[in-house]
Amino acid sequence: MLLLIPGIAYLVLFFLVPVGFIAYYSLGYKPALFGTVATDRLSLDRYKEALGPTFLATFTNTLQIAVIGTLSCLVIGLPVAYWAARHLGPRSRHVVLALILLPFWTNFLIRTVGWVVVLAPGGWLSHLLQAAHLTSHPLDVLDTRGAVQLGVVYNYVVYMILPIYVAFERTDPALREAARDLGATRWRAFRQVTLPQAAAGIAAGLILVFIPLCGDYITATILGGAKGNMVGQLVAGQFLGTQNWALGSAVAMLLVVSVLVVTALLAALAYGTLALLRRRRRVVLVTPTVAVAHA
Amino acid sequence: MSATGATAQLARRRRRDPVKIGLGVGGVAVLVFLYLPILTMIAYSFNSGRVLVVWGGLGTRSYPQALANPALIQSVTTSLQAAAGSSILATIVGTLLGIGMAQRRGLGSRVILGLLLLVLVTPEIVDAVALLIWYVQVNGPFGPANHVVNYGLVRLWFGHGIYSTAVVALIVRARMASLDPALEEAAADLYAPAHRRLRQVVLPLTMPAVVAGFLLSFSLSLDNTIISSFVSVAGSTPWSVYVFGAVRNGLRPEIAAMSTMLLLLTASSLALVAFVLRRGGSSLSGAS
Repeated sequence: MLLLIPGIAYLVLFFLVPVGFIAYYSLGYKPALFGTVATDRLSLDRYKEALGPTFLATFTNTLQIAVIGTLSCLVIGLPVAYWAARHLGPRSRHVVLALILLPFWTNFLIRTVGWVVVLAPGGWLSHLLQAAHLTSHPLDVLDTRGAVQLGVVYNYVVYMILPIYVAFERTDPALREAARDLGATRWRAFRQVTLPQAAAGIAAGLILVFIPLCGDYITATILGGAKGNMVGQLVAGQFLGTQNWALGSAVAMLLVVSVLVVTALLAALAYGTLALLRRRRRVVLVTPTVAVAHA
Repeated sequence: MSATGATAQLARRRRRDPVKIGLGVGGVAVLVFLYLPILTMIAYSFNSGRVLVVWGGLGTRSYPQALANPALIQSVTTSLQAAAGSSILATIVGTLLGIGMAQRRGLGSRVILGLLLLVLVTPEIVDAVALLIWYVQVNGPFGPANHVVNYGLVRLWFGHGIYSTAVVALIVRARMASLDPALEEAAADLYAPAHRRLRQVVLPLTMPAVVAGFLLSFSLSLDNTIISSFVSVAGSTPWSVYVFGAVRNGLRPEIAAMSTMLLLLTASSLALVAFVLRRGGSSLSGAS
């Protein structure tokens, strides 16, 4: 019990209580031009304001970027994970895994700035494309939604590859071979035998990508310009720019709640699919799939 | 046909297999994608122009410039100090939490697990604004009134440590779950008191998880930009916040030069760690 005290004290004091303050401030208002927040009158007005048309547009935009980004990560990450786990020998598998992990050890921000250099109108990619006559004018992607979309996929795809890789690596190749021997086509063996075994890894990957993507603020600011198309930028703007802490808190609360709801939905969906698959499958695997719970 | 001939033919057919080729090409393409911005930054560190994005000819001018820029050096030092402090904090607190959770099962343990998952699920931006409010509220050790320790660093330590603590606790807990409880029971039967069991039996057994947690915390702290940019104060701005500011005020090749040097430093220290782990591997993995 003694062991638990410092950890609980730390997380309560520096996580629960501060987030509690956000919840409290979200009920307040901005008193004057130079004040940040007042709580002598509590109301839900800030939430009403936060759900107004302009802010709602940002919420929808964020959700769109997050959903498209998460699905793109899945589409890119799943084949790579499968390739690394199932098609490579043990030696090259470790090399590829190390290569996938290495970018992690350079600063997140530097990698994003790297994209600014790559995508800049006067950058090498722009020159290359013009020299190849693929475009006639300089590249104009920076400060657009496309750049943000690319940036988030780049920054989070590794979180998708790793859990799926682990899941595929744990699957028993003998099961797939058995399916093939029993006349299943390759695609069918993959779909009905290999893929269901990796379901837990896929669910973990979806959650690991979706959550940070929803709150992303750095990638969007660097690659998307100051227009502020994501909720994270909205929160930051209210705190650092407009100094309206009450409204910023309300937006932050809405962000937390929507992330929690979507995560719960995703988890329920994953569990449901898993249960359904298990019932439909003729051969029941007894290997426990508890990996996500501990991930 | 001989058996070896058949295997060779099978191998040849497998090599020409379109699915395998497609996956291979896709995999390599993704690797190229992952390295594209990093290699670009390395290449542009040799840009002798004044602006990072515009190529002004080959040259190594940016390296001495980076090393002579006090604000830049200061930011890297701050980053390292913040990473060291927050990962030590997270490793100690998180390890105790993980061991404690594994030792007692039941409602309490489940509530703590819920808290840890909540920490992991909460978007960092929310954490960041919460801490901003909190530090202003509490002030004390986190404000200019603190003359004992650099309060800017204290803010970063406690800010970066939150997420890392949850990560360390979960890793250690998972490691503990895979250990044989009979080992600790045996120590208890041999009259080892609780603190000796912890120090001489439990801690050595969980060491690989603790080391992994520490390394992860360190790199998470180095990467941290969102919390840092909200809570850091002038004079202790970490590297990532410096770069973030430079994005708005104009990127210069010095940044690429410094990040290339840091990359080299990281790669060599990783190689060193891998070397040490391989040498001392028997003592670490012997625990499992």
